[in-house]
Amino acid sequence: AATAPGKKITARLKRTLPVRGPQAPTLSELMRWYCLNTNTHGCRRIVVSRGRLRRLLWILLTLSAVGLILWQCAELLMNYYSASVSVTVQFQKLPFPAVTICNINPYKYSAMKEYLSELDKETKKALETFYGFSEGKSKVRRSVDEWNSTESDFFQQIPLLKVEDFSRTATDLHSGQKRKIEGSVFHKDSSIVNSGDSNDIIGFQLCDANNSSDCALYTFSSGVNAIQEWYKLHYMNIMAQIPLETKEKLSYSADDLLLTCFFDGLSCDKRHFTRFHHPLHGNCYTFNSGENGTILSTSTGGSEYGLQVVLYIDEADYNPFLVTSTGAKIIVHDQNEYPFIEDIGTEIETAAATSIGMHFTRSRKLSKPYSDCTETGADIPVENLYNKSYSLQICLHSCFQKAMVHSCGCAQYAQPLPAGAEYCNYKKNPNWMYCYYRLHEKFVKEQLGCQQICKDACSFKEWALTTSIAQWPSTVSEDWMLRVLSWDKGQKLNKKLNKTDLANLMVFYKDLNERFISENPANTLVILLSNFGGQLGLWMSCSVVCVIEIVEVFFIDSLSIVMRRQWQKAKKWWNDRKQGSSGKAPQASDVERQGHDNPVCIDEDLPTFTTALRLPLPQDSPLPRTPPPNYSTLRLETAFTEQLPDTLELGQH
Amino acid sequence: PGRFELVSEHLVQLDRMAEESITFLYGINTSARLFHMNDRNIHVQGLSNLSRSGFKLSQNFSLLRMSDLRSGKKHSSVGFRLCNSTGGNCFYKTYSSGMDAILEWYRFHYMNIMSQLPVIINISQHEEQIEDMVYSCQYDGEPCRPSDYVHFHHPVFGSCYTFNSKGTDPFWTATKPGIPYGLSLILRAEQKDHIPLLSTVAGVKVMIHNHNQTPFLEHEGFDIRPGIATTIGIQQDEVNRLGGNYGKCTTNGDDVDVKLLYNNSYTLQACLHSCFQHIMVQECGCGYYYYPLPAGAQYCDYNKQPAWGHCFYQLYNRLRNHHLNCFDQCPKPCRESLYKVSAGTAKWPSAKSQDWVRQALRHQNGYNSTSNRKDIAKVTIFYQQLNYQAVNESPLLSENLLLSSMGSQWSLWFGSSVLSVVEMFELLVDTLVLSLLFCYQRLRAKKTLRVSPTIPSVSLALEN
Repeated sequence: AATAPGKKITARLKRTLPVRGPQAPTLSELMRWYCLNTNTHGCRRIVVSRGRLRRLLWILLTLSAVGLILWQCAELLMNYYSASVSVTVQFQKLPFPAVTICNINPYKYSAMKEYLSELDKETKKALETFYGFSEGKSKVRRSVDEWNSTESDFFQQIPLLKVEDFSRTATDLHSGQKRKIEGSVFHKDSSIVNSGDSNDIIGFQLCDANNSSDCALYTFSSGVNAIQEWYKLHYMNIMAQIPLETKEKLSYSADDLLLTCFFDGLSCDKRHFTRFHHPLHGNCYTFNSGENGTILSTSTGGSEYGLQVVLYIDEADYNPFLVTSTGAKIIVHDQNEYPFIEDIGTEIETAAATSIGMHFTRSRKLSKPYSDCTETGADIPVENLYNKSYSLQICLHSCFQKAMVHSCGCAQYAQPLPAGAEYCNYKKNPNWMYCYYRLHEKFVKEQLGCQQICKDACSFKEWALTTSIAQWPSTVSEDWMLRVLSWDKGQKLNKKLNKTDLANLMVFYKDLNERFISENPANTLVILLSNFGGQLGLWMSCSVVCVIEIVEVFFIDSLSIVMRRQWQKAKKWWNDRKQGSSGKAPQASDVERQGHDNPVCIDEDLPTFTTALRLPLPQDSPLPRTPPPNYSTLRLETAFTEQLPDTLELGQH
Repeated sequence: PGRFELVSEHLVQLDRMAEESITFLYGINTSARLFHMNDRNIHVQGLSNLSRSGFKLSQNFSLLRMSDLRSGKKHSSVGFRLCNSTGGNCFYKTYSSGMDAILEWYRFHYMNIMSQLPVIINISQHEEQIEDMVYSCQYDGEPCRPSDYVHFHHPVFGSCYTFNSKGTDPFWTATKPGIPYGLSLILRAEQKDHIPLLSTVAGVKVMIHNHNQTPFLEHEGFDIRPGIATTIGIQQDEVNRLGGNYGKCTTNGDDVDVKLLYNNSYTLQACLHSCFQHIMVQECGCGYYYYPLPAGAQYCDYNKQPAWGHCFYQLYNRLRNHHLNCFDQCPKPCRESLYKVSAGTAKWPSAKSQDWVRQALRHQNGYNSTSNRKDIAKVTIFYQQLNYQAVNESPLLSENLLLSSMGSQWSLWFGSSVLSVVEMFELLVDTLVLSLLFCYQRLRAKKTLRVSPTIPSVSLALEN
């Protein structure tokens, strides 16, 4: 009585079970049924294929496919979640960039007197003779006479010439000699400017010291440019001979330059600035250079929260020939970047408040296979002469400097020194200026290969600047402010400050929006595989497993069948030969005609078992046929066993 | 900003005090030393017209010079002392430069004085009309209409005017890009009325912003220099953020905890200011003068709250160092318009033309400047291009794409679909049920074996 309900339940379960397989519900049966009926190819093949090795292979394949799915899907999921998360991590506090400030005038003119007095005197004289320009009237007369008697060093090195374009003759402005121009003429200005009146072109000539016939004449449409360029060449010669420590002393100190400093609502002073010596701009001061390991950041956008400095620009101490504008130059850059003040600096005006609003953009390019950029610059064959992080500008400058040292034997003044080289000056390298100009010409025409070697950096930061200027100080506040600032400046400066000696600068984030532009590969491996799988599935409802199946059936299996047949043929042929050599077997060509199904004798013969049943005749029978007996059952049987081994085997099974 | 008549007496007092401080600090050539002003409160005389407020200028907060002992005699700093209500926990707000110190000190007093101004007073009544500030206005070659601007009072800059603040008028739609089709203004930038210690720059502030957005001129204003014609080209950028899981942002500010004190559309800056003002009212008991007031609060005044300066500067420090959670509470707006600005300048009016320009202005606008060239400015604001750049955030992998990629992976490696996955599940269930059944039967079988062990042995015996 106790067993009856249990049995009932079992029966009921068996009836209502979701098992759709064969009735015998053992586990192995169920699995077998599942594998035969599912549309995932792998399982089916496990069951269907015969042979232990092949089955094992299919199990392995199926398992690895499952593993691959799990891996790839996990990757996709991780990608999905990480992408959504990475945007949220945005602390609304932006690191403040480094701000480098330079006076436009590199060195104090008064301090430079002992180095430059000769050159300045020459320049003044040149101006007098060219333009009749005079400063102190009586003094000039005398100095002109003096000049004519003494031979000038500077003009011997690089003579200033007045060029008549059409006659191709030039007048040496110093000695008054006329000379024929040899070699090539380079116009530093566009030809449109000076096409009208070419009678008054001023330029200078640079000759190869070893081969004086090889000269190049550089002309300028305006005398201002010519004289400035000429002055700069000599100036670089002189500066190249002065050691760095001396130059730093000759330039402005932090106390000289900075009057007040205010950052993010807090007072700051010269300890927040790092000195940095720029060959063309003298001492520059970098705010927030990150040298002591901390990088300042601002809490909110707006001019109150940025850097506010008042700069002292001593206009009276400017070099009259080297610089013609007054003010300061600033550049906003990353802490790891080298400030290329001469290339991309922003100039600010005196007696004005310049407010510079910044907008921060960070970009990232994908490196090697996607675009031709470099991550660290380590893969570029140009040595980085600046010990700052790689940029295209650094690479170009370093490349040029290297070429300069290589072909001229000395280094150009405006760029840092490579190891073992020294700056050019015409005491040691009398030829360098000609060489430099030639090299520069080549560099600009991209013949040095620098532009081809140097690549863009993959990631860079950029601060877009918006500049606006207001009058400062306002007329009513001028009075008290100048007084206070003069006091701040200290007693050593006895005179009251003039407002044209001051510049007010504000650098701030306009807003704390950071724009981040990054390239993403359009096809990652996962997406590529997905697309591939999608196409396969869509058009063929096929998978990799199915492809393997195709390979198995169409190549391995069919090949093995063909091979087996060939093997059997070969075996038969061998056997034939063996029998033929013993002399028993008839000729192979007679085989067809010797049996009872020989069309010649079929009519006379009694109906055999085969013909009566209309069974298909064994063709290509590999066995030699004996002449027909009256009943050939025995031979037929052997023929069948030979012919259809598969069916027999199946039947046994 | 101009001077209000109501508080002008106080301002004069303050100026005098500032002058005293300056001469004390700089006129006398003293070495660095610490000094205390006597704690006396001077009743400002001649304030009969303001007797109801009873305001007095406190001299508790005087400028001091102190030497920084660590860095030697060269570094002396100037500052003023702030204490809490009990007189303890004092700290010095110091600046390395006297100029900054004086400016901050003056601003502090100025805020106290200005808090006297009753908010209810219709300020525009006391202020200049637009004609005093804008001499000429043209848009798209046509003169502006008097209804085109909105006047508002800015705590820092005084009276400001917003053109086209609603953005609904068809008159202001931009039809063509280029300078002739932009907004052209001739502005007065007179410096006579400036308060010398409040702001040291001269000029006009211009800000280009969205409709219905509070302009924070002190943060994002563009300076216009007097005596100069400035041409400002603008280009619109739009940023759309995804929000949700992709980054916190708010569509209209409704879901932000901070109650906006500005009745304009939501901006991050407005939210930060409101947040700070709420905390300020909560902790210091009064509102910061430069931000608008929440309901029921009043502006700080050291006659009523003697310690507010102490409280304020400490609170402000905490905001800056992100110790207040204002930055967490205020998300960025999901949709933002930015105007990229680039400007060029030229001298204006030119030496040749300035005579007739002045004549014309004098005739028409009652402009009465004599020879000082630097008190008028010209601004032209125009669209460089009429198209705008939109920066849209888009998810790298959307749900759709995720599913399709996963499906593709399945089909690639396994040739199956969701249905085969369901099939597998079915198999699992089947296996489970079958194995349970099997176990059950095994158990049953064991039981029956134990119950009747004798029967088989009997049958065996029979067979034998």
